[in-house]
Amino acid sequence: MAQDSIGLSSDYQFWMQKLSVWKQASTLETQQDICLYLPQFQEFLRQMYEALKEMDSNTVIERFPTIGQLLAKTCRNPFVLAYDESQKILIWCLCCLINKDPQNSGESQLNSWTRGLLSRILAAFRSDIKEVDLFTQGLGYAPADYYPGLLKNMVLSLVSELRENHLNGFNTQSRMAPERVRSLSRVCVPLVTLPDFEPLVEALLTYHGQEPQEMLWPEFFDAVNEAFLLRKICLPVSAVLCLWLRHLPSLEKAVLHLFEKLVSSERNCLRRIECFMKDSLLSFPLQPEAACHPAIFRVVDEMFRYALLETEGAPEVLAAMQVFTRCFVEALEKENQQPKFALKTYFPYASPSLVMVLLQRPKDIPQGLWHRPLKRISEMLKEIVEDETQGSSGGPFESWFLLAHFGGWADIAAEQLLTSVGDAEPPEALLWLLAFSSSPGDGPQQRAQTMVEVKAVLSHLGRLLGSPTPSARDLLAAAGESGEGDPRPPACQQLTRRLLLNFLLWAPGGRAMARDVITLMARTDEIMHEIVGFLDQTLYRWDHLGVDAPGSRKLARELLAELRGQA
Amino acid sequence: MDSLLQHLERFSEVLAVSRTTHVSTWDAATVRRALQWARYLRHVHRRFGRHARIRKALERRLQNQWKQEGGSGPAPALGLTNFQALGHCDLLLSLRLLANRALGDAAFHYLLQELFPGPGVPGAEEGMLQDSLALLARRRAAVHMLRSGAYRENPVLQEDSLMKTQAELLLERLQEVGEAHAEGPGRFLSRLWEHLPHNNFLKVTAAALLLPPSSPRHQEEESELGSPRRAGEQGRELLHWLLGKSEVIAAFCRNLPAGLLTSVAGRHPEVSRVYLGLLTDWGRHLHYDLQKGIWIGTESYDVPWEELYGRFQSLCQAPPPLKDEVLTTLKSCKAQDGDFEVPGLSIWTDLLLALESGA
Repeated sequence: MAQDSIGLSSDYQFWMQKLSVWKQASTLETQQDICLYLPQFQEFLRQMYEALKEMDSNTVIERFPTIGQLLAKTCRNPFVLAYDESQKILIWCLCCLINKDPQNSGESQLNSWTRGLLSRILAAFRSDIKEVDLFTQGLGYAPADYYPGLLKNMVLSLVSELRENHLNGFNTQSRMAPERVRSLSRVCVPLVTLPDFEPLVEALLTYHGQEPQEMLWPEFFDAVNEAFLLRKICLPVSAVLCLWLRHLPSLEKAVLHLFEKLVSSERNCLRRIECFMKDSLLSFPLQPEAACHPAIFRVVDEMFRYALLETEGAPEVLAAMQVFTRCFVEALEKENQQPKFALKTYFPYASPSLVMVLLQRPKDIPQGLWHRPLKRISEMLKEIVEDETQGSSGGPFESWFLLAHFGGWADIAAEQLLTSVGDAEPPEALLWLLAFSSSPGDGPQQRAQTMVEVKAVLSHLGRLLGSPTPSARDLLAAAGESGEGDPRPPACQQLTRRLLLNFLLWAPGGRAMARDVITLMARTDEIMHEIVGFLDQTLYRWDHLGVDAPGSRKLARELLAELRGQA
Repeated sequence: MDSLLQHLERFSEVLAVSRTTHVSTWDAATVRRALQWARYLRHVHRRFGRHARIRKALERRLQNQWKQEGGSGPAPALGLTNFQALGHCDLLLSLRLLANRALGDAAFHYLLQELFPGPGVPGAEEGMLQDSLALLARRRAAVHMLRSGAYRENPVLQEDSLMKTQAELLLERLQEVGEAHAEGPGRFLSRLWEHLPHNNFLKVTAAALLLPPSSPRHQEEESELGSPRRAGEQGRELLHWLLGKSEVIAAFCRNLPAGLLTSVAGRHPEVSRVYLGLLTDWGRHLHYDLQKGIWIGTESYDVPWEELYGRFQSLCQAPPPLKDEVLTTLKSCKAQDGDFEVPGLSIWTDLLLALESGA
């Protein structure tokens, strides 16, 4: 297309100039520059190939008279040849120049010249030591036969030099000078995805020199992280940990990568999110050594915090954070009984006693006694949140953020309220907790109002339990779901819906009217989405807690399947 | 079976021809046929890799070329040399054709189309060769970058990558040659000695004798050329030849650095014996110059005192039993000379004195 070719022409000029400056990549500055542009240059080569393959060799020369120079300069640049697929694309471009039936000496010469270049990249290897060439020829080996072996030996030799440096901590005569280590990390930038280089990459990541400052090139870390996230390299956990601890931007990129994937694919299915997180490379934060490392935990946690603020509490992010926290808690438990670091290192803004209570696993507590930790949590949070004179750090958001890590508690509170409806008065503590978790920003009066609303809904629902065959409309009326023009704030409506759904799952007559209720409730896509999310979260929680409620479970599963099928 | 062997023969011929100017007569059809045969043999390799009988028969046929006395010039004109090579015979053929300037333009054009079909053939048979070739180019660039960037020649010669690689190649060849013919290795090595620069050859030999012994070759293992297989056996062949050639072992002991020789002697007692014998021989050629107060030789090829001392010193730093052997030898030589304690009368006395004071 004309548009493309104009773009290509100007790119061509740009890269021609670049290549002239780069020459053979012998100075530090040129090497640095090249490493920055490697991916874009490869893309350019690809575009060139797409253009060239449509033309015959004469047209190529007409269209790009200096193509020969461009390709020749590229052939002389080892960084480009070493990167990813650039060498392959370059070869394809050269193939386009070959004329299968040259008519004149000019065309023949072009052929000859192109063949020379191809030969140079592919076939005519020469070590720069004459005796080695003679020797291998004498044995009857072509360079292509022994290059893989030679590379392997070179890598092994470098790895052992790096390791030796590491072991001889106090040896002043360390074998590898820091400048060499640095230049080695530079050389590795285009080569991190070459399988032969894996041991070297690993050795560099785990290398600790004598110098206080970081000797490895930052572009090296970037390149490794990119390759790792795209699954083009396999690294052990220890090496990845080193990568992330030495170069925080890499960890940040990794978590962002995870967020992107989550937001785009796994909506509304906690189990899949969990599997995804555990299976993906990003499960590395969740592996015991990594998750328990305070620096890593804090960085990931911070990113969750910002993500929640940016997305105003998007359910996917919340869900991901809850999964992350769960895996973290599991990891903590695996660390015998005494964690290596105090809880304060993981949650510096929170009161340790609150964290201790939140960390408790409901699974370890008999179901009948769940109200006790719930009450504690509620009281402690209330104290922090409503005590403005103390100037608690971060205000209600911090407390809410902490609670959100352990999302299960709020859900359990809702369930508890429902299952004991009709008995005694609903405990204030539970009401407070529920109101707080759904709307942390409320002032004390607003919250009190919400609590009153919820109490009202609960008492209506309690009365419905007694009636023989409640209808869907009755239920909705009881809940104050009046359809359009609901005066209550959205968070309160959400809370009401949650209570209703819980009721449907637990009440004996719930099954009969479930579908009707849901149909009436789901006035918008967003609400439908929310309902599906609720069902999914509930089932997920029940599975993990081992809640024994076969009827409710069955209903929830059925509803979830139906609603998902409709979507 | 017969047709398989015939195929093999024909392809070996084709492979041999592919390096010569004879390819100028090839057209696109010929290239296509050659590549097809290569692909067929690769398929054979994959299918019959575990089939011991067929594999053996194929290998025997391939080893025939080692039996021929031909060997005109230093480099044997090799085609396929073992069964493993069948696994990438298409790569071998392609590289030769790509480098051969005699191949006509039309045939070359066809070759490129076959080898580099372009993007969009992931994982398919046709794509594999393309990827292998690209990988070669990439590895070459990697070696280049390492050498010009961070790589330094290892002062410990036997650990230097280039040396190690050459040593591994040598042993690998020796194994193939040895399998073809019992006398093979000896003759092969002699021929190498005649045609190759001695210095490098000796260093490689030393490095080969110091390679770690490895486990026996696994039959289904893809052989990466250059990896040591049965280093122990070929090492013995090499050693046997070395010790049998007085000219070679003399040059070996004379020209290689002291530290390297000490390592070799430490590993191979037969070498230490010959080495010590030569050292004592060289020592006897020196006489004491009363005026200058030093031991000197008369001929230009005599080993000077410093060098002699350096070598003995290195040997004495080796762990026992070598160290003990050396001291015993020196002491017995000293005794033969008359067991003098005064310097200037017996070189052995002086050496021992110097070693003791130096130690």
